Amino acid sequence: MRTAMRLPLLLLYLLLLPFSSANNTDAAHETIATNTNNWAVLVSTSRFWFNYRHMANVLSMYRTVKRLGIPDSQIILMLSDDVACNSRNLFPGSVFNNKDHAIDLYGDSVEVDYRGYEVTVENFIRLLTDRWTEDHPKSKRLLTDENSNIFIYMTGHGGDDFLKFQDAEEIASEDIADAFQQMYEKKRYKEIFFMVDTCQANTMYSKFYSPNILAVGSSEMDESSYSHHSDVEIGVAVIDRFTYYCLDFLENIDKNSTLTLQDLFDSFTFERIHSHVGVRTDLFERDPSEVLITDFFANVQNVIPDDSKPLSLSHYHHHKDRIDTAQYELNNNVLDLALEKNHENFSSPKLDKLTKHIKSTNELNVDIGSNEYSLTFSKQSVTLGLMFIAMIVLLMLSGNTTKANYNLYNN
Amino acid sequence: MSTANLRKWVGFCFIAIYLFVGVPLWYKLTTVYRASLPINYIESLQNDKFQDIHLVIPVYVKSDTYRFPDIHDAVQVQVNHLLNSKEQRVPWSLQILPYNETVQNVEEKENQFHVVTLMLDEFIGYTSAYDTKETVVYYDDAAVLSNDLPFFVAQTLVEHTFQLEWTHLNKTNEDVSTNNQVAISYDPNIHLSITLLSGDGSPVAWEIEPTLTDYFSPFRKFLSPLVNFTVDSSIVYHNDLNLHSLNRSSANVTWFDLSHTIDLSELSSMTYYPEDSALNLAIVFPSVSSTPNGLAFVNGTRIANSVIALDWNSYLVPQWGVIIINKNPLQPNSVISEDYLEPMMYRFSTDIFHLLGLTEGSQELLSPYITIDSFKRLTILQNLDKAIETLWSLVKLTQQFQGMSIPREVSANVVEALDLRLEIIDLLNDPEKGGDIVWNNALRLSNELVKLCEKAFFNGEMVQQNFFPQEHMIAVYLPLLGPISAVLFFGFYNVMKEKNEVKNETEREAAKEKTELEEAEKLHAIDGEDEIMG
Repeated sequence: MRTAMRLPLLLLYLLLLPFSSANNTDAAHETIATNTNNWAVLVSTSRFWFNYRHMANVLSMYRTVKRLGIPDSQIILMLSDDVACNSRNLFPGSVFNNKDHAIDLYGDSVEVDYRGYEVTVENFIRLLTDRWTEDHPKSKRLLTDENSNIFIYMTGHGGDDFLKFQDAEEIASEDIADAFQQMYEKKRYKEIFFMVDTCQANTMYSKFYSPNILAVGSSEMDESSYSHHSDVEIGVAVIDRFTYYCLDFLENIDKNSTLTLQDLFDSFTFERIHSHVGVRTDLFERDPSEVLITDFFANVQNVIPDDSKPLSLSHYHHHKDRIDTAQYELNNNVLDLALEKNHENFSSPKLDKLTKHIKSTNELNVDIGSNEYSLTFSKQSVTLGLMFIAMIVLLMLSGNTTKANYNLYNN
Repeated sequence: MSTANLRKWVGFCFIAIYLFVGVPLWYKLTTVYRASLPINYIESLQNDKFQDIHLVIPVYVKSDTYRFPDIHDAVQVQVNHLLNSKEQRVPWSLQILPYNETVQNVEEKENQFHVVTLMLDEFIGYTSAYDTKETVVYYDDAAVLSNDLPFFVAQTLVEHTFQLEWTHLNKTNEDVSTNNQVAISYDPNIHLSITLLSGDGSPVAWEIEPTLTDYFSPFRKFLSPLVNFTVDSSIVYHNDLNLHSLNRSSANVTWFDLSHTIDLSELSSMTYYPEDSALNLAIVFPSVSSTPNGLAFVNGTRIANSVIALDWNSYLVPQWGVIIINKNPLQPNSVISEDYLEPMMYRFSTDIFHLLGLTEGSQELLSPYITIDSFKRLTILQNLDKAIETLWSLVKLTQQFQGMSIPREVSANVVEALDLRLEIIDLLNDPEKGGDIVWNNALRLSNELVKLCEKAFFNGEMVQQNFFPQEHMIAVYLPLLGPISAVLFFGFYNVMKEKNEVKNETEREAAKEKTELEEAEKLHAIDGEDEIMG
């Protein structure tokens, strides 16, 4: 009997299920993101003219995250910065990543945080772990907290479990893994999206063990990553395949985009990249198909309307008279209290202003400087000034005459 | 001494120097210095963070009409009973004391205690004062007769006056902090950046200085025990936070559209201030050219008890600050008067309480003094929690990374922090202490404690050796020590071998002579004997 009663309910539920799940997906896109500040760490570990493409890779990523709203103060850019002004550059001061030279990556204000010989393994590890001497500038630090999502992009020449830093040293995958662990211990991130474009890139994230890290690499072990194309005029390869197709995808993203990281991963095919792109999701709690691109590549600030409650002000006089305590308590404002307290200690003459009527917006725009007025004003002042100078000159002249006369008499 | 022996001695000396001077010296110079940390103590604190804390808040009971000589004891019993009904995560209690002249003498404007005033009335109820830390409990004669008054007082205190502690310090609440998604994490120094943005480039001015002096300075002072604000102001032209890209004529712009349109990247420059935390107030005017008729979605802010509505809306940006969007663009050469900015200051002050985590959502701030007082206590506990968390992370890392150096400075900081922690706990646990000065002092110390722990954790020297893999070590040491060791050991081996060879040769010669002698004896051909005999 009971089962029979439940059956229609079950059927109804099954019927409604698709609708409810559809609603949920819609709602998922409109929920308040819990990450409140997004950061980007973009590193090109190479040097020299022939590694032009690595610089272009990083600068293209920089341009993309900046376009999507991550402020410069939250982007850490590390690159050797030696191609834009290289003597071999046919376009001095510019870096291009495309044949048509449409976008000058170096054109807008590019804030490089670590350049030249500052791009070292030590500085990179220090940046992640935030272990610096006290005089290290704040703008060159990764000031993340437990609400920060960090996008880390690295490019250069790599090998099995290592990535070269400027032909001088190398970082091992264990080092990055340990640095992430230190960040995790101090709650310095919410989620990390690690992207690496080098040869044998997938080995770089193989040693990670800290939670909430999603990693993607351009090529498998014993596999090279390839450049996309060479530029005839520049004379070297200008961008890598993996980064090129990444940017190709990201160019269509806006701040209100609902595309997810899974869409990005799906866009990588062997035909395009010419190597096997690897994705590591086991440390990451969410499914990549639920992670919006904008969760890492953009900075979407939630805006909460604040007009639900009428603004209460100028109740200072109400309070003084204690006419209606209940009403007062409903409408009071903490600023009144602060003003009152201040008034008790030091009587502020400005307090009377509180009782002033609020002026409408039309009255606000007090025009102090119409051209005519300022012109008259300047004419008047010039005349006055001239008169003043003339008077001084006259006085001085008369003074001199007297003095001369005096001298005459003395002699 | 023969040459062979001398060579032998020299060989021995080299080896001895190598082994007894070189090796220990190398070991000493290359060992990573690891100062000892009180690991076990920190671990025990981590397992039970509030093991030695019992927060005691003194409350004084004052009765004007009737004299109740034992009311404080009776209330104490009821309070204890009520507090015990919920399992506490952080042990805390109230110490109910009679209000007398000594308290009156100690109490000043800057050093207030929690006081409960009992007032005879026709009904039973309570109110919390808006401008002091006083709670008034109204009672009638019937309540006195039925002896219900102590229970009323206890209930008022626990569930109303100390509501924040009551909700946040029990077992069901996971976190001590009152922090939510909107509020920034607590920091004693916060930078406040006030910006006027105009969509156009024509010059505008604002009376920000007198406004801040008149309204914000008292407010700053009011919050000064909790947060120290530093303020800067600026005018930004040709920036309307990207509002022009919204559908301006539509009144249906939702917060969702705004979230995806507003571009705060130019204002998020917290790295330029020395403070770790920053809040922003952005007052935006749209551009004349793009929005000559104003933004349709700005429906104005109503003022209570008044028909006037202001031509702006304010929006709260979680952990960032407040944006005030004005409906109409500014005329060229406008001066924004203090009267226009005044309501904004009122709105902003209320929002600061949200952004600091003092109030949540639409929650009313009915008794600011009591709320601030409770917030101080919760912040102190939160700081203690954070400090132990940091120390524990430090311990875990040092154990995990054996190659990581631990400078002496870190160890000193940790010891100092643990001492400071005990000092704070003494202040919290003392039932006699509980005025504003004590809480302020404890808060200041707890902020220092957090700073000290962070200093220990983020010590710059702890990075060394960490990115130095074993292969690198071999690569460095092998060319350096390899040749020296090879020369020494093979040389020594050679000297030893030489000596043996010399020894063997002598022995062989002696044996040879002996054999020859024997053979000669056998043949009786020893010349000497023949000569003697002959």
